[in-house]
Amino acid sequence: MEKFFKYTLTILITSVAVLEFYQVVMRYIMELPVMGLDEILVYPTLWLYFLGSVNACREDTQIKANVLDIFLKTDRARLIVRVIADVMSVLISLWLTWWAWDYFSYALRVWKESPTLYIPTFYAECAFFIGMALMTLYTGWYLIKNARQLIVTSQEVRSH
Amino acid sequence: RTWKISHVRPQGTAIDNDLRWFTDAIKETTSGKIRTKVYPASALGDYTVVQERVSLGAVDMACQPPSSAADKRFQLPYFPYMVNNWEQARKNYSTGAPLRGTVAKLYAEQGIQLLAAWPVYFGGIALNTAPVAQGDPNAAKGIKLRVPPMKTFQMLADTTGYLGTPIPFSDAFTAVQTGVVDGVIGSGAEGYYSSFRDVTKYYIPANTHFEVWYFIMNKEVYDDLSPKLQEQLKQVATEFENRRWESAEADQKANEQRLADFGAKIVNISDAEIAVTAKKIQSEVWPVVLKDVGEEWGQGVLDAIIR
Amino acid sequence: MEIVTVSLIALGLLVIMLSFGVPLPFCFGGALMTMVFMGGATMKGTMVWGFSQLANPVLLCIPLFVFAGTLMSESGIAASLLKFVNVFVGRIRGGLGVVATVSCAIIGAISGSGLTGVAATGPILIPEMASKGYPRGYATALVANSSILGLLIPPSVTMIIYGWVTDTSILACFLATMGPGLLITVLFSVVNVIMARKFPLVLDPPKPMKETVQEGVTMTSRAIPALVMPLIILGGIYGGIMTPTEAAAVAVIYSLPVGFLIYKGLTMGTFFKAAKNSATSVGAIMVMIVFSLMLSQIFVMEDVPQAMVEAVFTITQNKFLLLILINFLLFFVGMIVNDITAIILLAPLLLPLMGAIGVSPVQFAAIMGVNTAMGGVTPPYASILYLSMRIGKVEFSEVIKPAMILIIFGYVPVVFLTSLWPKLSLFIPGLFGY
Ligand code: NA
Ligand code: NA
Repeated sequence: MEKFFKYTLTILITSVAVLEFYQVVMRYIMELPVMGLDEILVYPTLWLYFLGSVNACREDTQIKANVLDIFLKTDRARLIVRVIADVMSVLISLWLTWWAWDYFSYALRVWKESPTLYIPTFYAECAFFIGMALMTLYTGWYLIKNARQLIVTSQEVRSH
Repeated sequence: RTWKISHVRPQGTAIDNDLRWFTDAIKETTSGKIRTKVYPASALGDYTVVQERVSLGAVDMACQPPSSAADKRFQLPYFPYMVNNWEQARKNYSTGAPLRGTVAKLYAEQGIQLLAAWPVYFGGIALNTAPVAQGDPNAAKGIKLRVPPMKTFQMLADTTGYLGTPIPFSDAFTAVQTGVVDGVIGSGAEGYYSSFRDVTKYYIPANTHFEVWYFIMNKEVYDDLSPKLQEQLKQVATEFENRRWESAEADQKANEQRLADFGAKIVNISDAEIAVTAKKIQSEVWPVVLKDVGEEWGQGVLDAIIR
Repeated sequence: MEIVTVSLIALGLLVIMLSFGVPLPFCFGGALMTMVFMGGATMKGTMVWGFSQLANPVLLCIPLFVFAGTLMSESGIAASLLKFVNVFVGRIRGGLGVVATVSCAIIGAISGSGLTGVAATGPILIPEMASKGYPRGYATALVANSSILGLLIPPSVTMIIYGWVTDTSILACFLATMGPGLLITVLFSVVNVIMARKFPLVLDPPKPMKETVQEGVTMTSRAIPALVMPLIILGGIYGGIMTPTEAAAVAVIYSLPVGFLIYKGLTMGTFFKAAKNSATSVGAIMVMIVFSLMLSQIFVMEDVPQAMVEAVFTITQNKFLLLILINFLLFFVGMIVNDITAIILLAPLLLPLMGAIGVSPVQFAAIMGVNTAMGGVTPPYASILYLSMRIGKVEFSEVIKPAMILIIFGYVPVVFLTSLWPKLSLFIPGLFGY
């Protein structure tokens, strides 16, 4: 997985930069503006956004504020808060994934094409649902992991 | 429930005023059974998204350009140099004309009911630098024009000797201002006054295309209305359209004048020059785009254009 | 229930979930759920809208500036700028602190985000300052606070977003935060020189003149490839060669040969790491943005902005009081969400109010710019402060007091001046004809 994300994300973010740069060079130096480049850019861009976010879920590096942690003294209390947060995350993520599925099936049905090159936009649009579904899976995985950890810690507390 | 009407221009513009007129008129005619609220300035999304939202029923109504993202055949009403003057435009874009029927059918396939047309203007070119051989489509002008992401306009710019340059709309103003591009194509006096007046030093009324916006609504919402309400809605919408046909040509003149008052020089080109350009476009651009939208279907629509 | 009440409940829940440590995209998702289940709003078509916003080319500036910033710190470009500034102010008492502030301001002219400064200069400056007698917590707080200048010295991601959501000239917005940004640079330098008197600083023995000049020449010539960057980027934008988003891409591409071949900070290993880390931050930011955009759109569809303006006007109609109130509001919002999200949520909500009391969109750009930038260092949600704590290897308790001193004496005066003295933000745009 680590390798997959490392290479895929590098290719995606680099290709976005290179395509934009190519546009400037062609327009300013060669005076030959490239038609439809914006349309092509949408694909790596959207996959970059969603796969990047999936990776943030996988690495557990999503943006968080954890204000309560400042006031909590024990690891167990922190773990309880974490599990509550994970439960909320999974529920919300499921709801969002469901709407993303709604969008996925809509996009599949109307099958839009980009305005000048007529590339089906579905291949970018499907990133939304696939991304959300994977984010839910990874969030759920952390929920299970942290819940088990909590059970273990609670048992240890009780046995002491 | 109050219906939401979306449009693409700021508050206080002609379309905004007309839609507010509609809001009052429909409320009065239906004694308050139909209530609408206007959301100006693309507050509910740009016209492509809003068309999708209308077809989904998330936005009830809109008055805006047709979006070719949903169906590339929507490029047809915006074919460059398809109609020559206001009289011919009214004949072709009004109810009863074959083109109008075609457009209504395309909308119906999206789950959208076409209520009225709102003619806007004949398009032109806005420049931040002095025009070069503006009447001669064969002269290379060395001028970069921002083109909207639509094949017809990109080809139109390139075929008439300009350098068509794709820039996202949100960056377009800045791009003209700093000189990334020298001007804009794809809109008309009203559009340029609305979004580009500070950077429009020259305006060429080249009659590039006939811009018409369609007043559309979600078909399910429409079908759920009682026959009486449907009738009343149609009647007010027709009046909304007719009022505009009466004032549109003068409005275009007024907007050219507003550009001029704001410091732009209006560079007219002769009917003969427009005819030469039209011919070139018809023989070089049309066939390509026709192939994209389906030759047989497209040719059929073009053949039905009233001369 | 009144729509304003539901909206406030939604925002309240957002804060609660946030403090539990729910990832930000899901916090916005939770607020969306509240609007749907309690406020009767519909998600129908909202995903379509959200996707189209996410695909907007303007947002591309965010990944590109994030990537450019990471490459700048990995490549050694930032480090060479730092050594360059050090030649000029490094020798005075408290000079190293001034180096931190001024370097961050210069890096700000290349980078579009608030994180680049601390990511690039922190690993070098914080240990260096600590070894010269500055308390580590203070050094960390100073670098974090200065780093925010990246958002105030153009180009700036937040101003691109503000210009986009409010339909204001992006170039004018860039210039609007420049006055406040320069003033903050000066204030931080002054505060630092004053604070430095109390520290047991170890000063370098004065070097002979000849050696100093020689060092100056070496460092300056070493810094040229880095110093060319602001020229390319700002010159490119204002000179009509590229759009701000394209400038970010040019910054990325430019830093590759410079990083691999000249400063040699980049290797295949560090490059892949930088790319993956950038892409992961980008993903986290963009998915948060799409849900905050959707929430903001639901607010618009439910007419919350007008209702808010009316509600606020029942409190007071006095322009002075309203501006103070808005600064407090922005301060609290800045405590809990990041800069871009704050702008996406609040700019469309507050702009009608600003119009009603006669504050120009460009001045409001500066007000929002300064406030949301400050949000990066105000806990509990203080991304830039946290990053600098990780880099400086210090505890929250060590960093919070100096950070507060810098905020109170550096930021707060500028925040109020920006609101109450229009010239501060409008003078520089005026010079450029905006
Ligand atoms: Na900057
Ligand atoms: Na904060």
